[in-house]
Amino acid sequence: MNAEVLKVSGVSKNFGGVAAVADFSMIQRENEITGIIGPNGAGKTTVFNLITGVYPVDAGGIWFYGTETTRRPAHTITALGIARTFQNIRLFRNLNVQDNLAVAYGVKTHYTVWEEMFRLPRVRREEKEAGDLARSYLSYFGLEKYATYFPYNLPYGLQRRLELARALMASPRLLLLDEPGAGLNPREIRELMGTLLKIREEKKLSMVVVEHHMELVMKICSTLHVLDFGKKIAEGRPEEIKKNEQVLQAYLGDEV
Amino acid sequence: MGFYLKVLEITSLHTILVLGAYLMTGLTGLFSLGQGGFLSIGAYTAAIAFLKFNLSFPVCLALAVGMGVLVGFLIGLPTLRLHRDYFLLVTFGFGEMVRAALLHLAQLTGGALGVAGIPKLVGLPMIILSIVVITVITACLKRSRFGRNCIAIRDDELAATLMGIPVYRHKMTVFILSSAITAYGGALYAFVIMFIEPNLFNWLESAKLIIITFVGGVNSITGAIVTSVVYYSFGEFFRFVDVWRDVLLALAVLLVTIFRSQGIFGNWELTPDTLLFRRRKAG
Repeated sequence: MNAEVLKVSGVSKNFGGVAAVADFSMIQRENEITGIIGPNGAGKTTVFNLITGVYPVDAGGIWFYGTETTRRPAHTITALGIARTFQNIRLFRNLNVQDNLAVAYGVKTHYTVWEEMFRLPRVRREEKEAGDLARSYLSYFGLEKYATYFPYNLPYGLQRRLELARALMASPRLLLLDEPGAGLNPREIRELMGTLLKIREEKKLSMVVVEHHMELVMKICSTLHVLDFGKKIAEGRPEEIKKNEQVLQAYLGDEV
Repeated sequence: MGFYLKVLEITSLHTILVLGAYLMTGLTGLFSLGQGGFLSIGAYTAAIAFLKFNLSFPVCLALAVGMGVLVGFLIGLPTLRLHRDYFLLVTFGFGEMVRAALLHLAQLTGGALGVAGIPKLVGLPMIILSIVVITVITACLKRSRFGRNCIAIRDDELAATLMGIPVYRHKMTVFILSSAITAYGGALYAFVIMFIEPNLFNWLESAKLIIITFVGGVNSITGAIVTSVVYYSFGEFFRFVDVWRDVLLALAVLLVTIFRSQGIFGNWELTPDTLLFRRRKAG
């Protein structure tokens, strides 16, 4: 069995009395793609926000490669090697495409503010590394001709790709994708599936995907967790989930 | 000639202050009405150190900058946890607090009478040199990690955090740098106009720094400098417009916000490349 990347153990989060996530646990293994599915408002994105430290958990604990991240500030969790994308694309509108990627490379740079003030050699060297890496990702995702564009001038599908490229810039070991297929057409979804599988192979990455698009999760995920009203109602391989009574009920409702 | 020289001196002094505000409000999106406070702290520190403690001029400048850094750190500690309008209100309070303190600590500051008899030790060359140095530093910061982080924080604080940017610490660095530049500008100010008093720089003057940054374009250092030079020299060279100066500024602000929300200069920077109309390579 592959090594344990992420362990989420009995995590809960309440928002003003509403249990957004209740006693959620999962284990993510290396080089696997895990899916979290569930109806709208089931708490899927909240799980991501808890893993990345956007909110503190109310109960439970989270470990990343054996390091506890439960009470760490969010930016240090990113530095450990967890990257994510967002449900509503969150690119930096005043930075061009290339700089949007370079921002994410910041955690890999070593120069200090003093060196930056006078653009000393280490700054030049690491900035060149950032630029080279950004360009290589841009061409990987077919975005090279948009390097100097501003992100919100790009078509939606390309913005999604750009966000994925940005998440890869810091060479993460775990990638959290929040509805990567939202707003994409069927052809783009197929491309996305191919890209994700390819990235996993090439970068030896583990991924957790929150998604509504059933075809996508069924095809690329090895394990699925199903959430409903913040609680996990099922866990298993995609073909098991497909037949699970409770899951069908949560998605389709009771028969009349 | 003397008049025009004086105008240029005052204008370029204000440009230093605009550069201080640019880092904070332009790049990072922190709206501070407390710049006047830091200016006064710099001016009084330098003047008192020089007149009452007979320290040499360079030491006085260093002390002023040091005081700016120290107070910037202390004020930043609690306020940088606040967001937008709350930050604005607290920095406004800070500026007014400094004014009141200078007024009431009369034994040290001379109270409402101010500090007179400061020798004129700063001339146009030194101010221009300072502008050049500060501009180069700001430009270097803007085009590497520091500047990208500033803009990322301004655009989307949550996404910036999740890119691994220590948002609070970064804001602190920006705040301290901006305070240091402003306090330095204040120290020069004292040795140019030779007389300082608590009402030297009220919150309206601080607000003008923000407005100039916005009219020039928050993403353009060139814009901040050009707009500042035009604004502060305009009123002096065109005395006949007099009170209409502020009306014209208001009109300019209105037109810019409606028709050019990115500021007059947008993202444009004056660099050797743009000067020669060369197309910049990506990266």
